[in-house]
Amino acid sequence: MRYVLRRLFFYLIAFFCAATFNFILPRLMPGDPITIMFSSQGNNLPIESLNALKATFGFIDGPLHEQYFAYLKSVFTWDLGYSVQYYPQSVNDVLNRSILWTLFLVGISSVISFSLGSLAGIYAAWHRGGTFDTILSPLSLVMQSMPAVIISLFFLFTFGVALDWLPTGYAYNIDYDPEWSFKYIASVLEHAIMPITTLVIVQIGGYLITIRNNMINLLGEDYIVMARAKGLSEKRVMLNYGARNAMLPLVTTFAMTIGVVLGGSLITEYVFNYPGLGNTLYQAITNRDYPVIQGQLLIMTLAMLTMNFLADMAYVYLDPRLRKA
Amino acid sequence: MSRILTLLKRNKKASFGMIILLVYVFIALFADVITDHDPIKRVARPHQEPSIEHLMGTTRMGRDVYTQFVHGTRTSIAVGFSAGFIIMALGTILGISAGYFGGKVDEVINFFTNIALVIPQLPLLLVLAAFLGESSPTTIALIIGFTSWAWGARVTRAQTMALSKKEFIQSAELAGESRWRILLVELLPNLASIIGANFIGSVLFTVITQATIEFLGLGNPLTMSWGTMLYNAQNTSAMHVGAWWEILTPSIAIAVLGVALALLNFGIDEISNTKLRTFSGLRIFNRRIAAIEYEKSLTAQEEHS
Repeated sequence: MRYVLRRLFFYLIAFFCAATFNFILPRLMPGDPITIMFSSQGNNLPIESLNALKATFGFIDGPLHEQYFAYLKSVFTWDLGYSVQYYPQSVNDVLNRSILWTLFLVGISSVISFSLGSLAGIYAAWHRGGTFDTILSPLSLVMQSMPAVIISLFFLFTFGVALDWLPTGYAYNIDYDPEWSFKYIASVLEHAIMPITTLVIVQIGGYLITIRNNMINLLGEDYIVMARAKGLSEKRVMLNYGARNAMLPLVTTFAMTIGVVLGGSLITEYVFNYPGLGNTLYQAITNRDYPVIQGQLLIMTLAMLTMNFLADMAYVYLDPRLRKA
Repeated sequence: MSRILTLLKRNKKASFGMIILLVYVFIALFADVITDHDPIKRVARPHQEPSIEHLMGTTRMGRDVYTQFVHGTRTSIAVGFSAGFIIMALGTILGISAGYFGGKVDEVINFFTNIALVIPQLPLLLVLAAFLGESSPTTIALIIGFTSWAWGARVTRAQTMALSKKEFIQSAELAGESRWRILLVELLPNLASIIGANFIGSVLFTVITQATIEFLGLGNPLTMSWGTMLYNAQNTSAMHVGAWWEILTPSIAIAVLGVALALLNFGIDEISNTKLRTFSGLRIFNRRIAAIEYEKSLTAQEEHS
């Protein structure tokens, strides 16, 4: 229990640090977006209107510490202000609109890579040196060193443009209304094939190799020999004795990968013009939409922290040595 | 040096990766000698297919893709190596200090390392690049270098802690060797493979990240690199008019470099750790996990006592 509390405390501090960093970042940059927005249009706003606008978007003048406390309060009440680009929508509206799409991409692709990758890894380790292992294991290394940009551009060009098999943009056919109809869901799935495949390729190699190498390390252990000596079936030794223990470090891999997947999802969403968090962040960056950028960074940090915390919890559950502490 | 060469020769993967890397370095060094054109000068009609005259075709602006690739290699390799060096240096210094000195030093460094690890990196880099505005390759190398040291620091720390408990370090301490001597002569050589792996992994990460930043249009579009080539190709809708050579050239350049560096890394792992030679694989990944496992067990022990 103390272990859990300690981790929780650490994540709280980490979030606090990230939030502070998030506060400092746009303030290091010259000018504020409101001034930039209106000076670029050549408008001369009266100073009162300018101040009113600044207040609306959360760029209050005043001593830095007052700004900081106002900012912290807004973070902890999750009141992130208004988007400059989509005014009068609030940052929360903008984020809510896109977060589900990213969760969809990241979630499905993680589950697929995790299950396929670990199954293939277990199989490759059990029959190491066989055809499956000699082909797939080096291949997964190659896949691991491929950046998401290249994979997604390759898919977009081959299946989207040249062969014209799959749609090249957006999350569903905009002629259909979002509803629980077969037509709509089929369209969503069709649009998700390429982004999800890209993300699976980015992740799957890591799982495969991790579990394969763990398995191989474990297979020499005494308890494996013992299980065999007891006359248990091969399948049982492989899954219940070998794989079960080899899976443990995958929990860490899972939490570690979330940062990579978020990055990969960002670029994939941009290439396929998918309306997720990554694309929203890109739009916000190019439009200097500071409130949305800040909200994005916060929500992504929060996702990383949550995943890491969940991994810690899973560890406590899976590894009895930590539970006693 | 000759010892490294014989080792490389014995390991097929490493030597293959090394050869590819050397070809890239050669291209980067002799960029001006092996090209005839200026990479940003119009030298032919737009969107010419690959031919003898223009080996990799031309862009929308009538620029020679081969020349762009060669000059892009120079930028990408330079950025990759310099940021890789910064990451390696920071990671090693912080990791060894934390692992060897322990106590308060360790607590402070480890705290910041852990914070840096849970901040989403690519989004942060994109925001930084955007705020700095049309980031030049130097800027990109610096921001990547100074934000990506955490993994290296963590792995080096765990390995240093493991080494510090070994007898040869303890006997060196008892023999009254100075701390600096222990750090530089006893510890550093034994960390060489981890530091090398850190460097190679960081170069790969930097090249990929730089390409990503520039592809999104957050770099300086006037400099020539693989990322800006992709950006320009995307911007002039090369894909939709069928100018595949414009997209394919930088993509393959990045992919092949990625494979080369990955092979080199596995090779180094196999060479430095004889136990691993029986099976190949993504060692660095495993070692990172081993490092985390080790830390977890340490925390568990602390909790017990």
